[in-house]
Amino acid sequence: MKLIDNVQVEKVGQTLWIKSGDKTWSYDIIDLSSEGQRRKKSNTASPDVIVAPMPGKITKVFVKEGDSVTVGQALLVMEAMKMEYTLKSDLETTVETVSAKVNDQVQVGAVLVKLVKQ
Amino acid sequence: MSKFTRVAIANRGEVAVRIIKACEELGLETVLLHSEADVNSRAYRMATHKVCIGPAPTAESYLNIEANIQGALAMGAQAVHPGFGFLSENAHFAQACEQAGLTFIGPSAEAIRTLGDKVSCKALAKKAGLPLVPGYEGEDQTLNTLMKEVEAIGLPVIVKAAAGGGGRGMKLIKQMSEAAEQIESAQREAKSAFGSEVVFLEKYLDRAKHIEFQIFGDSTGKVMHLFDRECSVQRRHQKIIEEATSPSLTEELRRKMGEVAVTLGTLGKYKGAGTVEFLLQDGKFYLLEVNTRLQVEHPVTEEVLGVDLVKMQILTAQNHFVWNDNEVRIPRGHSIECRIYAENSYMGGVPSTGLLGTVHWPEGPRRRYEFGFEKGDTITSYYDPMIAKAIVWDESRPRAIEKMIRVLKDATVFGVHTNIPYLIEILSHPEFVDGTMTTRFIEKNFAEGLKATHNEDERKKLSQGIYKKFIASGSGADAGLLTAANQGQTNSPWLSHWRGI
Repeated sequence: MKLIDNVQVEKVGQTLWIKSGDKTWSYDIIDLSSEGQRRKKSNTASPDVIVAPMPGKITKVFVKEGDSVTVGQALLVMEAMKMEYTLKSDLETTVETVSAKVNDQVQVGAVLVKLVKQ
Repeated sequence: MSKFTRVAIANRGEVAVRIIKACEELGLETVLLHSEADVNSRAYRMATHKVCIGPAPTAESYLNIEANIQGALAMGAQAVHPGFGFLSENAHFAQACEQAGLTFIGPSAEAIRTLGDKVSCKALAKKAGLPLVPGYEGEDQTLNTLMKEVEAIGLPVIVKAAAGGGGRGMKLIKQMSEAAEQIESAQREAKSAFGSEVVFLEKYLDRAKHIEFQIFGDSTGKVMHLFDRECSVQRRHQKIIEEATSPSLTEELRRKMGEVAVTLGTLGKYKGAGTVEFLLQDGKFYLLEVNTRLQVEHPVTEEVLGVDLVKMQILTAQNHFVWNDNEVRIPRGHSIECRIYAENSYMGGVPSTGLLGTVHWPEGPRRRYEFGFEKGDTITSYYDPMIAKAIVWDESRPRAIEKMIRVLKDATVFGVHTNIPYLIEILSHPEFVDGTMTTRFIEKNFAEGLKATHNEDERKKLSQGIYKKFIASGSGADAGLLTAANQGQTNSPWLSHWRGI
């Protein structure tokens, strides 16, 4: 850990952690280097792509391709840190693809379900 | 009964550390029964002996009775401390320990069955005329029956794991349309966390406070209480902030509830540390359940009373702890505990895993930290997200709140995101400050989680500037951390989209 301009800074893995006053935040190094600035935001928030918000296990899949879904409808259930998390749809649409099945161990950011874009 | 010199610990994380310290002070050796995933942890480094009992998934290690007992025996332990969670409230485990000649540091298997099983505990309480919440705790566990009972009790209804605790296997049903999904989800969580999918139903009190009494049965079987704690600040039925004593009790309520707690403990022939949980609504209290083990929040009781509950547990198991009738125990000042979870406050509390960088808990008078992981250790997705507890004591509740806010602002945790910003907001909320919060406090005030208040572009620009100076200072390398990949490949919360919890 280093003190730079009275701010605590540390590189952990490929992430830079910063604490300034009582606020802590982090960035992937790649987003801070000059190269990263040119990198396109390819993976930004998009309600039609349901990604794993954390590493964990898929415990239930409620939908299959072609199913119609409503806003707030549960799509699948994940388990991490002994808690269940239900991933829900933010759209009223149909399911394009389902790429997760029960008992899959998935990494954060893995695409689990794609919905038809509106 | 027994004198023992080596204690096996069937647990992990901060509670394993807590037990190791108590054993060290009593001159006892320790054996850590750990999973493959927990080699990089404080408890592993501190224990006198350690033995791997299985792979990371809890069913194959921390919940595996046979593996725990074989491990303890192989390393020459004569006693087992189960901590909390995992097998701590499992009567089969307590019995298996005794059968293998190991002293189980906790109540007898019989007492766990009577009081720890929520169904039989309620039956006992009902017989003794103690106040209960309306519910269903029948043996028929078919979905059909459970659904009918939900309707009979009347919504909202809460589904709970009979063998459970800690918010796992617990679901709230607000509409009949979601009843089946919630019941099945509770059953799955219960099975995964406690090895039993039996659930029971309870009427959900929607403006209740969670108050609990610490009870303790000494070596002779005499049960006393060590006053109350309030744990109304809960999210998804998981406690976040606990305090002793409760700001909500009149002296009369405190006396009455304490009497009920002691009555129940005595009826259950209780030995060692236990907790009787109540709900308090509109000046009336209802018995909720008994936790037949040490609680996560035991330190706040220790702070206001000046006791060491873990040492008392061990001494009781050695037949060396007897209540002194002449000693008057009165709680003094106020103590607060905050559970530090590895999660992202700004993303609805999504778990955050990975390699820990610098972790710094700021020292000061009457500040106490219980933690199981340090720099270089990895927080995995296999276990509970609680990485530490911060506990403070001060003369009064307002001062304790101020102290806790200072402590949280000064703490540094790098490598995983934590709920620290969330905790600070809660502690500053008028409803918490005036002590009127109920178990729906989070749902009412923080349903959406925290919203980031900073300007993202400015922060990024600032961070890029800091990174340049950081590189220029010759600090480009990892923080002395040779362990390679940070678990989740992309740690940046702004890159992935989170929804739905």
